[in-house]
Amino acid sequence: MDRRRGVTAAERVLNSGWLRPLIFLVLLTLLWDVTVRVLKIPPYLVPAPKDVIVALVAEWDVLLAAAVPTTIATLGGFALSVAFGIPIAMLIAGSRTVEAYVYPLLVFSQSIPKVAIAPLFVVWFGFGIVPKVISAFLLGFFPIVVSAVQGFKSVDQDMMDLARSMKASRLQTFRMVSLPHALPAIFAGLKVSVTLAVVGAVVGEFVGSNSGIGFVLQRSIGNFELPTMFAALIVLALIGVVLFWIIDVVERLAIPWHASQRHLVVATA
Amino acid sequence: MKKAWFAAVAALFAASPAFAADKVTLMLNWYVYGEHAPFYYGKEKGYFAEQGIDLEIQEGRGSGVTAQAVAAKTADFGYVDVPTMIKAAAKGAPLVATGVLLQTSPMSAMGFSDKNIRKPEDIKGKTVAVTPGDSMSQIWPLFLKKTGLKESDFRTVSGDAQTKLNAVINGQADLLLGYVMDQSMKIKDATGKAVTPIRFADYGIKMVSSGIVANTDFVKEKEGLVRRFMAAATKSVEEASKHPKDAAQAILTANPKGGQLATLTEGFELTIPLYKDPDGKSKQPFRVSDDNMKESMDLLVEYGGLDAAARGKLAGFYTNAYLPNPGK
Repeated sequence: MDRRRGVTAAERVLNSGWLRPLIFLVLLTLLWDVTVRVLKIPPYLVPAPKDVIVALVAEWDVLLAAAVPTTIATLGGFALSVAFGIPIAMLIAGSRTVEAYVYPLLVFSQSIPKVAIAPLFVVWFGFGIVPKVISAFLLGFFPIVVSAVQGFKSVDQDMMDLARSMKASRLQTFRMVSLPHALPAIFAGLKVSVTLAVVGAVVGEFVGSNSGIGFVLQRSIGNFELPTMFAALIVLALIGVVLFWIIDVVERLAIPWHASQRHLVVATA
Repeated sequence: MKKAWFAAVAALFAASPAFAADKVTLMLNWYVYGEHAPFYYGKEKGYFAEQGIDLEIQEGRGSGVTAQAVAAKTADFGYVDVPTMIKAAAKGAPLVATGVLLQTSPMSAMGFSDKNIRKPEDIKGKTVAVTPGDSMSQIWPLFLKKTGLKESDFRTVSGDAQTKLNAVINGQADLLLGYVMDQSMKIKDATGKAVTPIRFADYGIKMVSSGIVANTDFVKEKEGLVRRFMAAATKSVEEASKHPKDAAQAILTANPKGGQLATLTEGFELTIPLYKDPDGKSKQPFRVSDDNMKESMDLLVEYGGLDAAARGKLAGFYTNAYLPNPGK
Protein backbone atom coordinates (compact mmCIF):
# COMPACT_ATOMS: atom_id res chain seq x y z
CA MET A 1 0.00 0.00 0.00
CA ASP A 2 1.45 3.34 -1.02
CA ARG A 3 1.61 5.29 2.23
CA ARG A 4 2.50 8.51 0.53
CA ARG A 5 -1.08 8.85 -0.69
CA GLY A 6 -2.26 9.30 2.85
CA VAL A 7 -5.26 7.56 4.35
CA THR A 8 -8.22 6.95 2.04
CA ALA A 9 -11.81 7.43 3.16
CA ALA A 10 -12.42 3.69 3.06
CA GLU A 11 -9.44 3.04 5.29
CA ARG A 12 -10.62 5.72 7.68
CA VAL A 13 -14.00 3.99 8.02
CA LEU A 14 -12.42 0.56 8.43
CA ASN A 15 -10.08 1.83 11.14
CA SER A 16 -12.64 3.92 12.99
CA GLY A 17 -13.35 3.11 16.62
CA TRP A 18 -16.91 1.95 16.19
CA LEU A 19 -16.72 -0.44 13.25
CA ARG A 20 -14.83 -3.30 14.82
CA PRO A 21 -16.94 -3.50 17.98
CA LEU A 22 -20.00 -3.35 15.74
CA ILE A 23 -18.77 -6.31 13.70
CA PHE A 24 -18.05 -8.22 16.91
CA LEU A 25 -21.50 -7.36 18.22
CA VAL A 26 -23.13 -8.67 15.06
CA LEU A 27 -21.11 -11.87 15.36
CA LEU A 28 -22.18 -12.32 18.99
CA THR A 29 -25.82 -11.75 18.06
CA LEU A 30 -25.57 -14.39 15.33
CA LEU A 31 -23.98 -16.78 17.82
CA TRP A 32 -26.83 -16.09 20.29
CA ASP A 33 -29.41 -16.75 17.58
CA VAL A 34 -27.77 -19.99 16.50
CA THR A 35 -27.43 -21.19 20.10
CA VAL A 36 -31.11 -20.55 20.83
CA ARG A 37 -32.13 -22.44 17.70
CA VAL A 38 -29.73 -25.37 18.03
CA LEU A 39 -30.29 -25.95 21.75
CA LYS A 40 -34.03 -25.23 21.33
CA ILE A 41 -34.01 -22.87 24.29
CA PRO A 42 -37.62 -21.96 25.16
CA PRO A 43 -38.59 -18.27 24.85
CA TYR A 44 -39.56 -17.99 28.49
CA LEU A 45 -35.95 -18.75 29.52
CA VAL A 46 -33.90 -16.86 26.90
CA PRO A 47 -35.53 -14.81 24.15
CA ALA A 48 -34.35 -15.01 20.53
CA PRO A 49 -32.43 -11.95 19.27
CA LYS A 50 -35.11 -11.23 16.69
CA ASP A 51 -37.80 -10.87 19.41
CA VAL A 52 -35.52 -8.61 21.44
CA ILE A 53 -34.86 -6.33 18.47
CA VAL A 54 -38.59 -6.20 17.70
CA ALA A 55 -39.30 -5.28 21.34
CA LEU A 56 -36.52 -2.69 21.28
CA VAL A 57 -37.97 -0.97 18.23
CA ALA A 58 -41.59 -1.24 19.38
CA GLU A 59 -40.93 0.10 22.89
CA TRP A 60 -38.23 2.57 21.96
CA ASP A 61 -40.12 5.65 23.16
CA VAL A 62 -40.97 4.05 26.51
CA LEU A 63 -37.40 2.89 27.02
CA LEU A 64 -35.97 6.27 26.04
CA ALA A 65 -38.32 8.05 28.44
CA ALA A 66 -37.33 5.59 31.18
CA ALA A 67 -33.63 6.11 30.44
CA VAL A 68 -33.85 9.78 31.47
CA PRO A 69 -34.44 9.36 35.22
CA THR A 70 -31.93 6.52 35.36
CA THR A 71 -29.26 8.65 33.66
CA ILE A 72 -29.97 11.61 35.92
CA ALA A 73 -29.61 9.43 39.01
CA THR A 74 -26.41 7.94 37.57
CA LEU A 75 -24.89 11.35 36.87
CA GLY A 76 -25.92 12.62 40.30
CA GLY A 77 -24.30 9.67 42.04
CA PHE A 78 -21.24 9.92 39.84
CA ALA A 79 -20.85 13.64 40.57
CA LEU A 80 -21.00 12.90 44.30
CA SER A 81 -18.43 10.13 43.88
CA VAL A 82 -16.03 12.54 42.18
CA ALA A 83 -16.74 15.37 44.60
CA PHE A 84 -16.07 13.20 47.65
CA GLY A 85 -13.71 10.63 46.18
CA ILE A 86 -10.91 12.82 44.89
CA PRO A 87 -10.47 14.98 48.02
CA ILE A 88 -10.53 11.87 50.23
CA ALA A 89 -7.95 10.26 47.95
CA MET A 90 -5.77 13.34 48.29
CA LEU A 91 -5.99 13.12 52.07
CA ILE A 92 -5.18 9.43 52.04
CA ALA A 93 -2.27 9.86 49.65
CA GLY A 94 -0.94 12.87 51.48
CA SER A 95 -1.03 11.63 55.04
CA ARG A 96 0.16 8.31 56.42
CA THR A 97 -2.06 8.82 59.46
CA VAL A 98 -5.22 9.33 57.49
CA GLU A 99 -4.38 6.38 55.29
CA ALA A 100 -3.83 4.10 58.26
CA TYR A 101 -7.16 5.01 59.85
CA VAL A 102 -9.45 5.52 56.88
CA TYR A 103 -8.36 3.27 54.01
CA PRO A 104 -8.98 -0.13 55.66
CA LEU A 105 -12.48 1.00 56.71
CA LEU A 106 -13.22 2.08 53.17
CA VAL A 107 -12.24 -1.33 51.89
CA PHE A 108 -14.39 -2.96 54.61
CA SER A 109 -17.39 -0.87 53.59
CA GLN A 110 -17.02 -2.00 49.99
CA SER A 111 -17.89 -5.55 50.91
CA ILE A 112 -21.29 -4.55 52.23
CA PRO A 113 -23.79 -5.51 49.52
CA LYS A 114 -25.56 -2.32 48.49
CA VAL A 115 -28.61 -4.31 47.36
CA ALA A 116 -29.19 -5.34 50.96
CA ILE A 117 -29.09 -1.83 52.40
CA ALA A 118 -30.87 -0.07 49.53
CA PRO A 119 -34.33 -0.54 51.18
CA LEU A 120 -33.01 1.38 54.19
CA PHE A 121 -32.27 4.38 52.00
CA VAL A 122 -35.91 4.47 50.95
CA VAL A 123 -36.92 4.37 54.60
CA TRP A 124 -34.56 7.21 55.48
CA PHE A 125 -34.90 9.40 52.40
CA GLY A 126 -38.32 8.60 50.94
CA PHE A 127 -39.35 7.57 47.47
CA GLY A 128 -37.76 10.34 45.38
CA ILE A 129 -34.51 10.45 43.49
CA VAL A 130 -32.31 10.67 46.62
CA PRO A 131 -32.06 6.93 47.39
CA LYS A 132 -31.14 6.24 43.77
CA VAL A 133 -28.41 8.89 43.78
CA ILE A 134 -27.02 7.54 47.05
CA SER A 135 -27.08 4.01 45.67
CA ALA A 136 -25.19 5.15 42.56
CA PHE A 137 -22.76 7.13 44.71
CA LEU A 138 -21.97 4.16 46.97
CA LEU A 139 -21.14 1.93 44.02
CA GLY A 140 -19.15 4.52 42.11
CA PHE A 141 -17.16 5.88 45.03
CA PHE A 142 -14.59 3.18 45.64
CA PRO A 143 -12.97 2.88 42.15
CA ILE A 144 -12.37 6.63 42.11
CA VAL A 145 -10.74 6.63 45.53
CA VAL A 146 -8.49 3.66 44.79
CA SER A 147 -7.30 4.95 41.44
CA ALA A 148 -6.89 8.52 42.67
CA VAL A 149 -4.82 7.36 45.65
CA GLN A 150 -2.69 5.39 43.23
CA GLY A 151 -2.36 8.43 40.99
CA PHE A 152 -1.42 10.88 43.75
CA LYS A 153 1.06 8.46 45.25
CA SER A 154 2.82 7.90 41.96
CA VAL A 155 3.85 11.51 41.51
CA ASP A 156 7.58 11.58 40.92
CA GLN A 157 9.32 12.72 44.11
CA ASP A 158 11.94 14.57 42.04
CA MET A 159 9.21 16.73 40.51
CA MET A 160 7.86 17.54 43.97
CA ASP A 161 11.34 18.47 45.15
CA LEU A 162 11.81 20.64 42.06
CA ALA A 163 8.57 22.48 42.75
CA ARG A 164 9.54 23.00 46.39
CA SER A 165 12.98 24.24 45.40
CA MET A 166 11.24 26.83 43.23
CA LYS A 167 9.19 27.98 46.26
CA ALA A 168 5.87 26.82 44.83
CA SER A 169 2.93 27.12 47.25
CA ARG A 170 0.95 24.02 48.18
CA LEU A 171 -1.85 25.03 45.84
CA GLN A 172 0.56 25.64 42.98
CA THR A 173 2.28 22.31 43.59
CA PHE A 174 -1.08 20.58 43.55
CA ARG A 175 -2.28 22.37 40.45
CA MET A 176 0.86 22.12 38.37
CA VAL A 177 2.53 18.90 39.54
CA SER A 178 0.37 16.51 41.61
CA LEU A 179 -2.93 16.78 39.80
CA PRO A 180 -1.66 16.47 36.22
CA HIS A 181 0.45 13.47 37.21
CA ALA A 182 -2.48 11.83 38.93
CA LEU A 183 -4.96 12.50 36.13
CA PRO A 184 -4.28 9.39 34.01
CA ALA A 185 -4.98 7.12 36.98
CA ILE A 186 -7.98 9.22 38.01
CA PHE A 187 -9.53 8.96 34.54
CA ALA A 188 -9.15 5.18 34.62
CA GLY A 189 -11.04 5.19 37.92
CA LEU A 190 -13.71 7.52 36.52
CA LYS A 191 -14.40 5.17 33.64
CA VAL A 192 -14.94 2.20 35.95
CA SER A 193 -16.93 4.32 38.36
CA VAL A 194 -19.44 5.62 35.84
CA THR A 195 -20.40 2.14 34.67
CA LEU A 196 -20.86 1.06 38.28
CA ALA A 197 -22.91 4.17 38.99
CA VAL A 198 -25.41 2.99 36.34
CA VAL A 199 -25.77 -0.30 38.22
CA GLY A 200 -26.26 1.59 41.47
CA ALA A 201 -29.01 3.74 39.98
CA VAL A 202 -30.88 0.65 38.73
CA VAL A 203 -30.55 -1.12 42.09
CA GLY A 204 -32.06 1.96 43.68
CA GLU A 205 -34.92 1.84 41.20
CA PHE A 206 -35.66 -1.82 41.88
CA VAL A 207 -36.09 -1.07 45.49
CA GLY A 208 -38.34 1.95 45.27
CA SER A 209 -39.24 3.86 42.16
CA ASN A 210 -42.06 4.77 39.79
CA SER A 211 -39.83 5.43 36.83
CA GLY A 212 -36.60 4.52 35.16
CA ILE A 213 -35.16 1.46 33.47
CA GLY A 214 -35.20 -0.45 36.77
CA PHE A 215 -38.97 0.04 36.92
CA VAL A 216 -39.36 -1.20 33.32
CA LEU A 217 -37.19 -4.21 34.14
CA GLN A 218 -39.26 -5.09 37.23
CA ARG A 219 -42.53 -4.83 35.33
CA SER A 220 -41.35 -6.86 32.35
CA ILE A 221 -39.89 -9.59 34.58
CA GLY A 222 -43.19 -9.81 36.45
CA ASN A 223 -45.10 -10.25 33.18
CA PHE A 224 -42.65 -12.76 31.71
CA GLU A 225 -41.99 -10.28 28.88
CA LEU A 226 -38.40 -11.40 28.35
CA PRO A 227 -37.82 -9.60 25.03
CA THR A 228 -38.75 -6.28 26.69
CA MET A 229 -36.53 -7.12 29.64
CA PHE A 230 -33.56 -7.80 27.38
CA ALA A 231 -34.31 -4.64 25.39
CA ALA A 232 -34.22 -2.64 28.65
CA LEU A 233 -30.88 -4.28 29.49
CA ILE A 234 -29.53 -3.22 26.10
CA VAL A 235 -30.62 0.38 26.72
CA LEU A 236 -28.94 0.22 30.13
CA ALA A 237 -25.72 -1.01 28.55
CA LEU A 238 -25.94 1.77 25.97
CA ILE A 239 -26.21 4.37 28.75
CA GLY A 240 -23.02 2.95 30.25
CA VAL A 241 -21.26 2.99 26.88
CA VAL A 242 -22.25 6.59 26.13
CA LEU A 243 -21.13 7.83 29.55
CA PHE A 244 -17.86 5.90 29.27
CA TRP A 245 -17.26 7.41 25.84
CA ILE A 246 -17.91 10.95 27.13
CA ILE A 247 -15.29 10.47 29.83
CA ASP A 248 -12.93 9.10 27.21
CA VAL A 249 -13.35 12.25 25.12
CA VAL A 250 -12.78 14.47 28.18
CA GLU A 251 -9.68 12.42 28.93
CA ARG A 252 -8.32 12.97 25.45
CA LEU A 253 -8.79 16.71 25.89
CA ALA A 254 -7.40 16.82 29.43
CA ILE A 255 -4.30 14.68 29.11
CA PRO A 256 -3.32 14.62 25.45
CA TRP A 257 0.30 14.33 26.48
CA HIS A 258 -0.06 10.97 28.22
CA ALA A 259 1.42 7.79 26.77
CA SER A 260 -1.99 6.13 26.64
CA GLN A 261 -3.28 8.78 24.23
CA ARG A 262 -0.61 8.17 21.61
CA HIS A 263 -1.87 6.69 18.39
CA LEU A 264 0.23 4.64 16.05
CA VAL A 265 1.85 6.97 13.58
CA VAL A 266 3.50 5.47 10.58
CA ALA A 267 6.49 7.57 9.75
CA THR A 268 7.13 8.10 6.13
CA ALA A 269 10.41 6.89 4.84
CA MET B 1 -15.61 -61.53 57.98
CA LYS B 2 -15.17 -58.22 56.15
CA LYS B 3 -16.25 -59.78 52.86
CA ALA B 4 -19.46 -61.02 54.42
CA TRP B 5 -20.15 -57.59 55.87
CA PHE B 6 -19.63 -55.90 52.50
CA ALA B 7 -21.88 -58.45 50.84
CA ALA B 8 -24.62 -57.77 53.38
CA VAL B 9 -24.42 -54.02 52.83
CA ALA B 10 -24.43 -54.48 49.08
CA ALA B 11 -27.49 -56.71 49.33
CA LEU B 12 -29.19 -54.10 51.47
CA PHE B 13 -28.55 -51.42 48.85
CA ALA B 14 -29.73 -53.69 46.08
CA ALA B 15 -32.92 -54.46 47.92
CA SER B 16 -33.68 -50.91 49.07
CA PRO B 17 -34.84 -49.19 45.84
CA ALA B 18 -38.17 -50.90 46.18
CA PHE B 19 -38.61 -49.42 49.66
CA ALA B 20 -36.93 -46.01 49.26
CA ALA B 21 -39.25 -43.02 49.32
CA ASP B 22 -39.34 -40.70 46.31
CA LYS B 23 -37.40 -37.52 46.97
CA VAL B 24 -39.63 -34.63 46.04
CA THR B 25 -38.98 -30.87 46.23
CA LEU B 26 -41.83 -28.45 46.73
CA MET B 27 -40.79 -24.85 46.07
CA LEU B 28 -43.03 -22.26 47.73
CA ASN B 29 -44.02 -18.94 46.22
CA TRP B 30 -42.22 -16.82 48.80
CA TYR B 31 -40.46 -16.94 52.13
CA VAL B 32 -42.56 -18.98 54.56
CA TYR B 33 -45.67 -17.45 56.09
CA GLY B 34 -48.98 -18.70 57.57
CA GLU B 35 -50.47 -19.88 54.25
CA HIS B 36 -47.80 -22.60 53.94
CA ALA B 37 -48.64 -24.29 57.24
CA PRO B 38 -50.43 -27.38 55.77
CA PHE B 39 -47.32 -28.58 53.95
CA TYR B 40 -45.11 -28.33 57.01
CA TYR B 41 -47.85 -30.00 59.08
CA GLY B 42 -48.23 -32.81 56.57
CA LYS B 43 -44.51 -33.42 56.47
CA GLU B 44 -44.29 -33.43 60.26
CA LYS B 45 -47.25 -35.77 60.67
CA GLY B 46 -45.93 -38.17 58.04
CA TYR B 47 -48.81 -37.80 55.53
CA PHE B 48 -46.26 -37.46 52.75
CA ALA B 49 -44.06 -40.26 54.10
CA GLU B 50 -47.02 -42.66 54.19
CA GLN B 51 -47.45 -41.99 50.46
CA GLY B 52 -43.80 -42.88 49.93
CA ILE B 53 -42.68 -39.28 49.51
CA ASP B 54 -39.61 -37.77 51.16
CA LEU B 55 -40.64 -34.13 50.92
CA GLU B 56 -38.24 -31.18 50.91
CA ILE B 57 -39.88 -27.76 51.17
CA GLN B 58 -37.91 -24.85 49.74
CA GLU B 59 -38.80 -21.21 50.22
CA GLY B 60 -39.18 -19.26 46.98
CA ARG B 61 -38.55 -15.75 45.67
CA GLY B 62 -41.80 -14.94 43.94
CA SER B 63 -44.41 -16.96 42.06
CA GLY B 64 -42.80 -16.04 38.74
CA VAL B 65 -39.39 -17.35 39.72
CA THR B 66 -40.83 -20.55 41.23
CA ALA B 67 -42.98 -21.15 38.12
CA GLN B 68 -39.89 -20.84 35.93
CA ALA B 69 -37.97 -23.19 38.22
CA VAL B 70 -40.69 -25.83 37.90
CA ALA B 71 -40.79 -25.32 34.13
CA ALA B 72 -37.04 -25.87 34.02
CA LYS B 73 -37.43 -28.97 36.26
CA THR B 74 -35.24 -27.48 38.95
CA ALA B 75 -38.10 -28.12 41.39
CA ASP B 76 -40.61 -30.97 41.15
CA PHE B 77 -43.67 -29.11 42.41
CA GLY B 78 -44.30 -25.43 42.98
CA TYR B 79 -46.82 -23.71 45.24
CA VAL B 80 -47.50 -20.56 43.26
CA ASP B 81 -50.14 -18.03 42.26
CA VAL B 82 -51.93 -19.98 39.52
CA PRO B 83 -52.74 -16.91 37.35
CA THR B 84 -49.00 -16.17 37.30
CA MET B 85 -48.39 -19.77 36.22
CA ILE B 86 -50.99 -19.37 33.47
CA LYS B 87 -49.19 -16.28 32.18
CA ALA B 88 -45.94 -18.22 32.02
CA ALA B 89 -47.70 -21.20 30.40
CA ALA B 90 -49.26 -18.91 27.80
CA LYS B 91 -45.71 -17.89 26.83
CA GLY B 92 -44.80 -21.52 26.33
CA ALA B 93 -43.69 -22.72 29.77
CA PRO B 94 -44.67 -26.41 30.14
CA LEU B 95 -46.70 -26.03 33.32
CA VAL B 96 -50.00 -27.37 34.61
CA ALA B 97 -51.81 -26.72 37.89
CA THR B 98 -52.59 -30.07 39.52
CA GLY B 99 -54.68 -28.43 42.24
CA VAL B 100 -55.91 -24.91 42.99
CA LEU B 101 -56.00 -24.37 46.74
CA LEU B 102 -56.98 -20.73 47.23
CA GLN B 103 -60.16 -20.36 45.22
CA THR B 104 -61.07 -16.98 46.67
CA SER B 105 -58.55 -14.22 46.16
CA PRO B 106 -56.31 -13.31 49.11
CA MET B 107 -55.42 -9.98 47.50
CA SER B 108 -56.14 -6.87 49.51
CA ALA B 109 -55.15 -3.30 50.20
CA MET B 110 -54.12 -3.16 53.84
CA GLY B 111 -53.07 -0.56 56.38
CA PHE B 112 -52.94 0.01 60.12
CA SER B 113 -56.36 -0.45 61.72
CA ASP B 114 -56.07 2.81 63.61
CA LYS B 115 -56.00 4.70 60.31
CA ASN B 116 -59.64 3.63 59.88
CA ILE B 117 -59.32 2.80 56.20
CA ARG B 118 -62.05 0.19 55.94
CA LYS B 119 -63.92 0.90 52.71
CA PRO B 120 -62.68 1.78 49.23
CA GLU B 121 -63.88 5.40 49.65
CA ASP B 122 -61.42 5.77 52.52
CA ILE B 123 -58.56 5.20 50.08
CA LYS B 124 -59.10 8.64 48.53
CA GLY B 125 -56.29 11.01 49.40
CA LYS B 126 -54.08 8.26 50.80
CA THR B 127 -50.73 6.83 49.65
CA VAL B 128 -50.69 3.26 48.35
CA ALA B 129 -47.49 1.20 48.02
CA VAL B 130 -47.41 -1.24 45.10
CA THR B 131 -44.82 -3.50 43.48
CA PRO B 132 -44.78 -3.02 39.71
CA GLY B 133 -45.23 -6.24 37.77
CA ASP B 134 -46.61 -8.40 40.56
CA SER B 135 -50.02 -10.06 40.45
CA MET B 136 -51.77 -7.53 42.70
CA SER B 137 -50.57 -4.52 40.75
CA GLN B 138 -52.26 -6.00 37.69
CA ILE B 139 -55.66 -6.60 39.30
CA TRP B 140 -55.56 -3.24 41.09
CA PRO B 141 -57.02 -1.36 38.08
CA LEU B 142 -60.00 -3.76 38.12
CA PHE B 143 -60.50 -3.13 41.83
CA LEU B 144 -60.46 0.61 41.13
CA LYS B 145 -63.02 0.13 38.39
CA LYS B 146 -65.30 -2.02 40.54
CA THR B 147 -65.19 0.44 43.41
CA GLY B 148 -65.44 3.63 41.35
CA LEU B 149 -62.00 4.93 42.29
CA LYS B 150 -59.59 6.65 39.91
CA GLU B 151 -55.76 6.64 39.89
CA SER B 152 -55.89 10.38 40.57
CA ASP B 153 -57.79 9.83 43.83
CA PHE B 154 -54.70 8.67 45.67
CA ARG B 155 -50.91 8.72 45.53
CA THR B 156 -48.89 5.67 44.46
CA VAL B 157 -45.36 4.76 45.48
CA SER B 158 -43.58 1.76 43.95
CA GLY B 159 -41.02 -0.52 45.48
CA ASP B 160 -40.09 -4.13 46.02
CA ALA B 161 -41.69 -6.32 48.69
CA GLN B 162 -39.47 -5.16 51.56
CA THR B 163 -39.86 -1.51 50.63
CA LYS B 164 -43.67 -1.82 50.68
CA LEU B 165 -43.56 -3.22 54.21
CA ASN B 166 -41.10 -0.55 55.37
CA ALA B 167 -43.24 2.17 53.81
CA VAL B 168 -46.37 1.21 55.74
CA ILE B 169 -44.52 0.54 58.99
CA ASN B 170 -42.80 3.93 58.78
CA GLY B 171 -45.82 5.86 57.67
CA GLN B 172 -44.46 6.72 54.23
CA ALA B 173 -47.50 4.94 52.82
CA ASP B 174 -50.96 4.40 54.33
CA LEU B 175 -51.71 1.16 52.49
CA LEU B 176 -49.94 -1.60 50.63
CA LEU B 177 -51.24 -4.21 48.21
CA GLY B 178 -50.69 -7.64 49.67
CA TYR B 179 -52.21 -10.96 50.69
CA VAL B 180 -54.53 -10.87 53.72
CA MET B 181 -52.46 -13.43 55.62
CA ASP B 182 -48.94 -12.40 54.65
CA GLN B 183 -47.87 -8.76 54.98
CA SER B 184 -50.54 -8.03 57.59
CA MET B 185 -48.96 -10.55 59.94
CA LYS B 186 -45.44 -9.33 59.23
CA ILE B 187 -46.48 -5.77 60.07
CA LYS B 188 -48.13 -7.03 63.23
CA ASP B 189 -44.92 -8.86 64.20
CA ALA B 190 -42.84 -5.74 63.67
CA THR B 191 -45.08 -3.18 65.32
CA GLY B 192 -47.58 -5.08 67.48
CA LYS B 193 -50.38 -3.10 65.82
CA ALA B 194 -53.34 -4.64 64.02
CA VAL B 195 -53.80 -4.27 60.27
CA THR B 196 -57.13 -4.04 58.45
CA PRO B 197 -57.30 -5.39 54.89
CA ILE B 198 -59.79 -4.28 52.25
CA ARG B 199 -60.28 -7.58 50.43
CA PHE B 200 -60.56 -7.47 46.66
CA ALA B 201 -62.84 -10.52 46.83
CA ASP B 202 -65.42 -8.50 48.77
CA TYR B 203 -65.80 -6.16 45.79
CA GLY B 204 -66.58 -8.67 43.12
CA ILE B 205 -63.09 -9.77 42.12
CA LYS B 206 -63.26 -13.49 41.51
CA MET B 207 -59.75 -14.70 40.93
CA VAL B 208 -58.13 -17.93 42.07
CA SER B 209 -54.74 -17.72 43.69
CA SER B 210 -52.26 -20.24 45.07
CA GLY B 211 -52.12 -23.82 43.91
CA ILE B 212 -49.77 -26.69 43.16
CA VAL B 213 -48.12 -26.61 39.76
CA ALA B 214 -45.88 -29.14 38.01
CA ASN B 215 -44.03 -29.56 34.75
CA THR B 216 -46.26 -31.20 32.11
CA ASP B 217 -43.54 -33.71 31.17
CA PHE B 218 -43.02 -34.59 34.84
CA VAL B 219 -46.76 -35.19 35.23
CA LYS B 220 -46.82 -37.49 32.20
CA GLU B 221 -43.77 -39.50 33.28
CA LYS B 222 -44.60 -39.76 36.97
CA GLU B 223 -48.37 -39.91 37.11
CA GLY B 224 -48.35 -42.20 40.13
CA LEU B 225 -46.10 -39.87 42.09
CA VAL B 226 -48.27 -36.87 41.26
CA ARG B 227 -51.38 -38.70 42.49
CA ARG B 228 -49.66 -39.68 45.72
CA PHE B 229 -48.39 -36.15 46.24
CA MET B 230 -51.84 -34.59 45.71
CA ALA B 231 -53.40 -37.19 48.02
CA ALA B 232 -50.89 -36.33 50.74
CA ALA B 233 -51.34 -32.60 50.13
CA THR B 234 -55.14 -32.90 50.32
CA LYS B 235 -54.97 -34.82 53.60
CA SER B 236 -52.43 -32.26 54.94
CA VAL B 237 -54.76 -29.37 54.14
CA GLU B 238 -57.81 -31.11 55.65
CA GLU B 239 -56.01 -32.06 58.85
CA ALA B 240 -54.17 -28.76 59.24
CA SER B 241 -57.48 -26.88 58.92
CA LYS B 242 -58.69 -28.77 61.99
CA HIS B 243 -55.56 -27.98 64.01
CA PRO B 244 -54.37 -24.52 62.95
CA LYS B 245 -52.12 -23.89 65.93
CA ASP B 246 -50.31 -27.22 65.54
CA ALA B 247 -49.94 -26.53 61.84
CA ALA B 248 -48.38 -23.14 62.54
CA GLN B 249 -46.13 -24.77 65.12
CA ALA B 250 -44.95 -27.21 62.44
CA ILE B 251 -43.60 -24.24 60.49
CA LEU B 252 -41.59 -23.08 63.48
CA THR B 253 -40.31 -26.56 64.25
CA ALA B 254 -38.94 -26.81 60.75
CA ASN B 255 -37.86 -23.18 60.52
CA PRO B 256 -37.42 -21.45 63.90
CA LYS B 257 -37.04 -18.07 62.19
CA GLY B 258 -40.26 -18.52 60.24
CA GLY B 259 -42.21 -16.01 62.31
CA GLN B 260 -44.15 -15.83 65.55
CA LEU B 261 -46.55 -18.60 66.56
CA ALA B 262 -49.47 -16.26 67.25
CA THR B 263 -49.33 -14.44 63.95
CA LEU B 264 -48.55 -17.57 61.92
CA THR B 265 -51.63 -19.19 63.44
CA GLU B 266 -53.73 -16.09 62.75
CA GLY B 267 -52.42 -15.94 59.18
CA PHE B 268 -53.29 -19.58 58.58
CA GLU B 269 -56.74 -19.13 60.10
CA LEU B 270 -57.29 -16.23 57.68
CA THR B 271 -56.29 -18.52 54.82
CA ILE B 272 -58.71 -21.38 55.56
CA PRO B 273 -61.90 -19.57 54.40
CA LEU B 274 -60.19 -18.86 51.07
CA TYR B 275 -60.08 -22.57 50.22
CA LYS B 276 -63.74 -22.32 49.20
CA ASP B 277 -64.75 -20.53 46.02
CA PRO B 278 -66.69 -17.25 46.37
CA ASP B 279 -70.02 -19.11 46.03
CA GLY B 280 -69.03 -21.62 48.71
CA LYS B 281 -69.57 -24.65 46.49
CA SER B 282 -66.14 -26.38 46.63
CA LYS B 283 -66.31 -29.94 47.86
CA GLN B 284 -62.66 -30.70 48.42
CA PRO B 285 -59.39 -28.82 48.79
CA PHE B 286 -57.58 -28.25 45.49
CA ARG B 287 -60.62 -29.24 43.39
CA VAL B 288 -61.50 -26.12 41.41
CA SER B 289 -64.60 -25.63 39.27
CA ASP B 290 -64.42 -24.82 35.58
CA ASP B 291 -66.56 -21.73 36.13
CA ASN B 292 -64.15 -20.37 38.70
CA MET B 293 -61.19 -20.91 36.36
CA LYS B 294 -63.04 -19.34 33.47
CA GLU B 295 -63.78 -16.20 35.49
CA SER B 296 -60.14 -15.95 36.49
CA MET B 297 -59.11 -16.42 32.88
CA ASP B 298 -61.44 -13.63 31.74
CA LEU B 299 -59.89 -11.28 34.30
CA LEU B 300 -56.40 -12.27 33.19
CA VAL B 301 -57.16 -11.52 29.56
CA GLU B 302 -58.87 -8.23 30.30
CA TYR B 303 -56.54 -6.90 33.01
CA GLY B 304 -53.56 -9.19 33.23
CA GLY B 305 -52.26 -8.57 29.75
CA LEU B 306 -52.81 -12.18 28.77
CA ASP B 307 -53.20 -12.89 25.07
CA ALA B 308 -56.87 -13.61 24.22
CA ALA B 309 -55.76 -16.65 22.23
CA ALA B 310 -54.83 -18.29 25.53
CA ARG B 311 -58.53 -18.61 26.40
CA GLY B 312 -58.76 -21.60 24.13
CA LYS B 313 -55.95 -23.35 25.97
CA LEU B 314 -57.46 -22.90 29.43
CA ALA B 315 -58.36 -26.57 29.78
CA GLY B 316 -54.71 -27.49 29.39
CA PHE B 317 -53.58 -25.18 32.19
CA TYR B 318 -55.22 -27.01 35.10
CA THR B 319 -56.51 -30.45 35.96
CA ASN B 320 -58.38 -32.15 38.79
CA ALA B 321 -57.47 -35.60 37.43
CA TYR B 322 -54.76 -36.30 39.99
CA LEU B 323 -56.82 -35.47 43.06
CA PRO B 324 -58.14 -38.22 45.32
CA ASN B 325 -61.84 -39.03 44.98
CA PRO B 326 -63.91 -36.67 47.12
CA GLY B 327 -65.75 -38.15 50.07
CA LYS B 328 -63.57 -41.23 50.16
